[in-house]
Amino acid sequence: MSAGYLLKRLLLAIPTLFGVLVVVFVLLRVVPGDPVTMMVGLTASEEDIARLRELYGFDKPIFTQFLIYLGDVLQGDLGVSITRKQEVLGLILGRLPVTLELSLFAMAVALLGGMMLGVLAVYRPGRGGELVADGFSGLGLAIPDFLWALMFILLFGVLIPLLPISGQIDPRLGFEPASGFYLFESLLIGEFAAFQSVLSHMVLPAVALAIPLAAIIARILKSSLQEVMTQDYILLARARGFSRLRIVLREALQNALIPTVTLSGVQFTFLVGGTVLIERIFSYPGLGNMAIEAVINRDIPLIQGIVLTFAVMFIALNLIIDSTYVLLNPRVRHG
Amino acid sequence: MADRRGALVSAASDARVLFGAAVLLALIVAAAAAPLLAPHDPLEQDLLASFLPPAFQAGADPVFPLGTDSLGRDLLSRLIYGARVALTVALVAASLAALLGTALGLIAGYFGGWVDAVISRLVDVWMAFPPVLLSIVLVAIIGAGLHSVIIAIVIIDWTRFCRVVRAEVLVQREQDYVASAVTIGLGRWRILWHEILPNLLPLLLVLITLEMGIAIIVEAILSFVGLSVSSDQATWGGLIQEGRLYIHQAWWIMVLPMACIIVSVLGLNALGDGLRRTLDPVMRR
Amino acid sequence: MPIHRRQFLMHAGAAGVAGASLNSLLWSRQARAAIGDTLTIAYHVAPPSWDPTVGPSSVNPGLQSIYKSVFDQYIEQNPDLSFGPGILTEWGWNEDRTKVSMTVRDGVKWHDGKALTAEDVVWNLKRVADPETGNVVQVVWASLDNLQVDGNRITADVKQYVPDLFKWMAFLTGYLLPPQYYEEVGAEGFEKKPIGSGPYMVDRYEPNAFLRLKRNPDYWGGEPAFENVIFKFVTDPSSRVAEIESGGSDLTLEVPFEEFDRLKAKDGLVGVATPVSDVALIFFNDTGPMEDLNVRKALVHAVNKKAIVDRLLRGYGVPLDTLEAPEYDAYDPDIKVPYDPELAKTLLAESGYSKDNPVRFKIQATRGYRPKDYEIVQAVVGMWRKVGVEAEIEVYEIAKHFELRAQDKLDPAAFYVWGNASGDPNNSTGFAMFGPSPHSVWDTEDLDGMLAPVMFGEKDDQKRMAGWNKALRYIAENAYVLPLLQYVQPVVHRAELGFTPYTANFVLPHKITVKG
Repeated sequence: MSAGYLLKRLLLAIPTLFGVLVVVFVLLRVVPGDPVTMMVGLTASEEDIARLRELYGFDKPIFTQFLIYLGDVLQGDLGVSITRKQEVLGLILGRLPVTLELSLFAMAVALLGGMMLGVLAVYRPGRGGELVADGFSGLGLAIPDFLWALMFILLFGVLIPLLPISGQIDPRLGFEPASGFYLFESLLIGEFAAFQSVLSHMVLPAVALAIPLAAIIARILKSSLQEVMTQDYILLARARGFSRLRIVLREALQNALIPTVTLSGVQFTFLVGGTVLIERIFSYPGLGNMAIEAVINRDIPLIQGIVLTFAVMFIALNLIIDSTYVLLNPRVRHG
Repeated sequence: MADRRGALVSAASDARVLFGAAVLLALIVAAAAAPLLAPHDPLEQDLLASFLPPAFQAGADPVFPLGTDSLGRDLLSRLIYGARVALTVALVAASLAALLGTALGLIAGYFGGWVDAVISRLVDVWMAFPPVLLSIVLVAIIGAGLHSVIIAIVIIDWTRFCRVVRAEVLVQREQDYVASAVTIGLGRWRILWHEILPNLLPLLLVLITLEMGIAIIVEAILSFVGLSVSSDQATWGGLIQEGRLYIHQAWWIMVLPMACIIVSVLGLNALGDGLRRTLDPVMRR
Repeated sequence: MPIHRRQFLMHAGAAGVAGASLNSLLWSRQARAAIGDTLTIAYHVAPPSWDPTVGPSSVNPGLQSIYKSVFDQYIEQNPDLSFGPGILTEWGWNEDRTKVSMTVRDGVKWHDGKALTAEDVVWNLKRVADPETGNVVQVVWASLDNLQVDGNRITADVKQYVPDLFKWMAFLTGYLLPPQYYEEVGAEGFEKKPIGSGPYMVDRYEPNAFLRLKRNPDYWGGEPAFENVIFKFVTDPSSRVAEIESGGSDLTLEVPFEEFDRLKAKDGLVGVATPVSDVALIFFNDTGPMEDLNVRKALVHAVNKKAIVDRLLRGYGVPLDTLEAPEYDAYDPDIKVPYDPELAKTLLAESGYSKDNPVRFKIQATRGYRPKDYEIVQAVVGMWRKVGVEAEIEVYEIAKHFELRAQDKLDPAAFYVWGNASGDPNNSTGFAMFGPSPHSVWDTEDLDGMLAPVMFGEKDDQKRMAGWNKALRYIAENAYVLPLLQYVQPVVHRAELGFTPYTANFVLPHKITVKG
């Protein structure tokens, strides 16, 4: 049954992907201005431009151009970056791990922080704990991640320079990873100096990304914990004289955890989307930073490639989250 | 005890609604009466009076209550006029997104079938793009300006309305009142317009309030990336971007507009949440 | 300043709490350690491409310092814009300027150990002269024909006389790539692992993150002082300030002038501010209200450049009335366009404009591309407003500016910063104002007729400069462009470093030494 549901989800992803391709294509082919003028030098003659136009297929009808684009993308050819003169796909694959690692770390921070706040709110309801937790999650929701990032830069860059505020690793370390997963790889091969450097560079951007999500998690957890706390077995445990902390942590949390984790999974995609600006602010060399650079340089093939990558990643993430949700909550299978 | 807690919660939610309403009112007054409230022309510059601190600090000039920016423009006036931009973007973008999203959501939810399938796919496609990146790319394509910011927000955020409205229509469609409307022979559009839509209004109100907060943030993000309102019009995001460069010399240029954004969004969120609590029968229960 | 800080701390209270709770997780960064054999530079722009001879990157002035660290130029440029031997030790024209001859330096090696030969130089010259390669000044390189090698000497015929040909050999795109290696790995392979013959070799390049360079022990110009050089790419100005302040970097540049003043007063840091070969200007396009001479002259006289330099740039800038900076060959201090708002009002009145009936047009500006670009435009628009001009500012990215300029579709007014490290008027006023040039914005026949002979025809240098002087005066009188100011480049570095500022805007790691 669940296999059938997942198959249906998988099949539905195909028209979505096709739609995404159409949108990406249309978005960047209607750019006012001429993509060719940007590619050539300023002294290019009319013939040069016409030749390039033909080379890139800009002279063909728009529908034919789309078919060519579709064919190229399906073969993994995302074109060549205008400013970097390298294959777009290669450029993206080089940066993607950086963004993924940052996002996952931020997610972990958000889960940890959000759960702590949620538990705090229920552990001390109506008193200091709940007020603090509610206050934090209210602020976390109202202040967008980029404002947190700016505050961190000021705070840590200027007032208490404890954590690095730009880059991914101290380049003096001479760490030469084989993959883009710096944190994972440095830990795996026991390069602890590099690990420490990567981790400390990651803290601020990750926390900035995590705060809004932590606020959401805190709220979800709080309401599901509150619901659980009124259940009979909890009342029973209370009657048996267990401490409130023990009840919240050992009995209630277990049951409130699943809905929290699955619901926050959906929010993970928003966190990934947030990396665009955060990476820019912290000069973090991920996909998002490259995206803004591409927009500034009007490097159309690169923008197209990055937007497409994010979209495909979102669709894949949503599929994964849906599947876990189905696996964890058998009730949905019939829905 | 449970009763006391319930009363407390409802009082708290009232306090939130009050706070939110006060913030919104302040925004509206600032925006509408900007020319009357602002002590200066927000564009008037005086290079000799740049970086003056707010009135409560040493070296201030009482003519500029919140100090001046790098070009010697009055910060208070710029903040007030910035509220105008923020509110315009928030109101117009949120309403247009609501209009588009609701229309499609109503149609998808009520008619179902292939119409629903097409619209739902469209929503899926849209949801696949990260909003920040999409808005930056969109504005870079359309060109900076107030209208582009609004267009970008509408293009990106209509899905929020569409999804919620569609789900709600699916619920409403099964209600007795719809069945009886069908029985007495009302047309489908008529039912949608006169029977179902009014029932959705409270929900829409909540969504629009929340969307206004989002719109204010998006405008700030785009200003921050340098893509928002492009003339020398004052915007909060633009002021933050400017103030960032002078944080050691003139912290107020960055901190005050940040405070404006945070208070506005806090207020709109509180208002939205409070409205949901009082209007949504499920939450009320 | 401490008062501000404390107050700021209060306002950032929320963030402070979040930060404090993190404290336990932290390990502090190393304090400013003694300078070792690694020099770390917090740099403002990362090279998208490693080919310094073609494409948009090749003409980006900000990237030249990086290119010059890895590649050699035909001819070197000194801190004061004068020229000196590079890979070429001798160069020049014959008497009637129909032939050129050049001598290639002996014993230079590419980073892969192969010898740099006269044939390599010819390969490079031919490559950029080929329009297929996409060099932006292909016309300049194509002026040579029939290149011949005889041992270390290269001779060539002059197909078309380009007076500043040899200046280009020390200027944009005048770099040497290793032919054998380049043909072996191809353009894409070269991007992945670039090699040259310059003072440093690329050790590792993480796009948008950092560039690590290793000393080239065989460098012909003497071994550089530092074994390793790291360019950390930090695009955000306030983050660069934090880098140098926290000791994360040893040198940084392009910081806001307010911060520059603050940083240079700190112990252990030195600030150097040098006027550089970057001129801020406002292009006028020959459309709409700009076709009216009164309007143009009013726009020019209404701007108080000195106030902009003094107040906005805190004195770091040189007001200019032509596109030629004092260090350039054609600078003439006697050409003056005074600040005179009353005259501006009178001129506008003659054309029927006033504060109640203002001239209206759009002005385009970049924001954050160069220091205070947007603020300068705002200040100019504010000054115009006082005499009866309502200009609406439109912000765009620099790439968009290039695109619009190439198509001649800029708004009536557009801000730009023109770099000309060659110092030759051909490459500032020339290309900026000569109609047929794809870079020009103002295109009218009267001016083109005046510029064509001085730019391409005149072979006598003295007569050429006299012709230029006349042209500069004519442009100023007709207000065809609004020159604003010459930029000053702020560099902040650790006091232990010996740093040489270059008028050409370079920050060259191999010229940086350790003091004492």
